[in-house]
Amino acid sequence: MRGPSRRIAQAAVTLVGAAVLVWSLQLLAPGDPARRVLVANGVGNPTPTQVAALRAELGLDEPAPVRLGRWLLAAATGDLGRSWRSGAPVAAELADRLPATLRLAAVALGFALLLAVPLALIAQHRRADLAARGLVFLGAAVPSFVVGTLLLEVVVVRLGIGRVLADGSWGGAVLPAVPLALAAAAVWARVLRAAMLEVRARRHVQVARARGAGRLRVLLVHVLPGASPPLFTAIGMTVGSLLAGAAVVETIFTWPGVGPYLVEAIVARDVPVVQGTVLLGVLAYVVANTLADLAAAAVDPGRAR
Amino acid sequence: MSRRAELWTGAAVLVLLAVAALAVPLLGPDPDATDYANRLAAPSPSHPLGTDQAGRDVLARAAAGVPTSLGAAVVVTAVSAAVGLLVGVTAAVAGGWVDTVLSRVVDVVLAVPQLVLALAVVGVLGPGLTNLVVAMALAGWAPLARYARTFAAGLLHRPYVVAAELAGVARPVAALRHVVPATAGGVAAVATLGLGEVVLGLAGLSFLGLGVAPPTAEWGQMVAESTTVAGQAPWLVVVPGALIVLSVAGASLLGDALAREAP
Repeated sequence: MRGPSRRIAQAAVTLVGAAVLVWSLQLLAPGDPARRVLVANGVGNPTPTQVAALRAELGLDEPAPVRLGRWLLAAATGDLGRSWRSGAPVAAELADRLPATLRLAAVALGFALLLAVPLALIAQHRRADLAARGLVFLGAAVPSFVVGTLLLEVVVVRLGIGRVLADGSWGGAVLPAVPLALAAAAVWARVLRAAMLEVRARRHVQVARARGAGRLRVLLVHVLPGASPPLFTAIGMTVGSLLAGAAVVETIFTWPGVGPYLVEAIVARDVPVVQGTVLLGVLAYVVANTLADLAAAAVDPGRAR
Repeated sequence: MSRRAELWTGAAVLVLLAVAALAVPLLGPDPDATDYANRLAAPSPSHPLGTDQAGRDVLARAAAGVPTSLGAAVVVTAVSAAVGLLVGVTAAVAGGWVDTVLSRVVDVVLAVPQLVLALAVVGVLGPGLTNLVVAMALAGWAPLARYARTFAAGLLHRPYVVAAELAGVARPVAALRHVVPATAGGVAAVATLGLGEVVLGLAGLSFLGLGVAPPTAEWGQMVAESTTVAGQAPWLVVVPGALIVLSVAGASLLGDALAREAP
C-alpha cells in the first residue's frame, strides 16, 4: 500500500486504538457503577440484590475484555449503548443534537478562515507584523468562555443585539461562533504567517518578484498556495479541540448541541454517554487529520512521505 | 524582544502572580467572606477590584485563585513532563519491543485531543480539582513523551554517551547519568510552552463546573458564577479573564525563550 490508502489504513488503526483507550478509562472509576446508577436514579441506599440485578442487566459481570469487544463491535455498527440516566440509545440522542453542533462548527470554521488568512497576509508587511502578532496572541490567550460570557451578557442582554435563547438555527449560530472562531483563527494565522515567511524566501517567489509581479499578486498567487499545507494540518487539529470548545461555548449560549449533553453526562457520570460522545469527537478528529494530510499531500506532493 | 528580555519578563510575570497570591491574603479581606449588603460594588478604595454577587472582595478572590488556577496548571505540567521524560527516555534507551509498545501507546493517546480526553477522564472519575488535575496530566504527557523519545534517541549516538558505554558503564546507568539530564532541559522548555494551554484548559473545565467546588476561588469558576451579572458588573468577568491572559503570556514568553535556549 502507498499514498492515500496507506494513510487511511493508518487512520483506521489509530481510531481502533483510541476507541479502546476511551472505553478503558472507565476502569479507573472508583466504586461500583451499578450502585452509582441506582443512586443517580433516586434509589438512596440500594440493596445488594438491586445492585446485583442491575449489574446483570448492564452486563457488568462479564470480564472487561469481553465487554470491550462487545462495545467495539456494537460501536462499529453505530450502536453506542444506552444512557444510564434516560435508558435511551446514546446514538439516537447524539443524532438529535449533532446537527446544531455541526452548524455552529461550520459557521465558526468559516469565520476563522475569514479572519486568519487576511491576518496572515497583513502580517507579511513588516510594519503591521507586530500588531498582527499582538492580535494573534490575544485571540489565543483570552479564554473563549470570557469572550462568550461578555458577548452574551453585554451585547445580547444589555444592548439587545441578537438573541438570548439560541435555537440551533444558522442565524443563531453567528454569535456563539465568535469565541470559537477567535481561538481557531489565532492558531491558524500564526501557522500561516510563519509558513508564508518561509515560502517568501524560496527561489520561485524571488523570480516572480524579479519579473515585476505586484506585491499582492506575489503573496496571493505565489506564496499562499505553497504555504497552505501547514494551515491544512492546523485546521485538522482544530476540529479535534472543537468538541471541547463546543462544550464550553454551547453551555454559555444554551446551544442545543452535543456540548451541553456531554457536560451533563460528565456531571452525572453517565459513562455510556461520555464514551459515545468522546468517541464521536475522536472520529471527527481522526477523519479531519487524515483529510488534512491528504489535502496537504495533494497541494505539495513533496511533503508526502 | 531579545531572548534574555523574554525570559525575564515571562518569569517576572509568573513570579509576580505567585507573590500576589502570598501577599494579598496578608493585607486584604477573607476571599470567602460574604457581605450581601455590599454586593456587586464597583471598584473603590476599600475593594480595589469591586465585589462579586455575594459581596466578596474580588481582589482577594483573584489572589486566592492563583494556586487553584495557575498552581494547578503548574502541577499538571510538571507531572506531564516527568511522566513524558520517563516514558520517552525509556523507549529510546530500551529500544526493541519496549520502544514499539510505548510508541504505540503514545500514538493512541495523541489520537484523542487533549481536552476531550480530559473531559472523558473527569467523566469517569467525577468532577473535582484533584480529578481535574489527574485528567489533564493523563492527557498531557503523551506529546512530551514523543518529544523526549526523539531527543533522547538523538543523544544515544553522541560521542560522550557512546564513550560512557564503551568504558563499561551499564546502559541504564549511562541513560540516567547522561541522557536524562540532557533531555530534561528540552522537555521542560516544551512543557513550559504548553503551560498556557493547560491554564486555559483547566479554567475552561472549571468554568463548566467540573473543577473546584464552591466557595473555593478559581478563575474559571469565578467567571461561571458571575455570568448572569456580567452585564451589570463586567469586572467580575474581566478580572479573572485578565489574570488568565497574564498567565498565558508569562508562560508563552518563558517557554519561547527556554525552547530557543534548548539545543
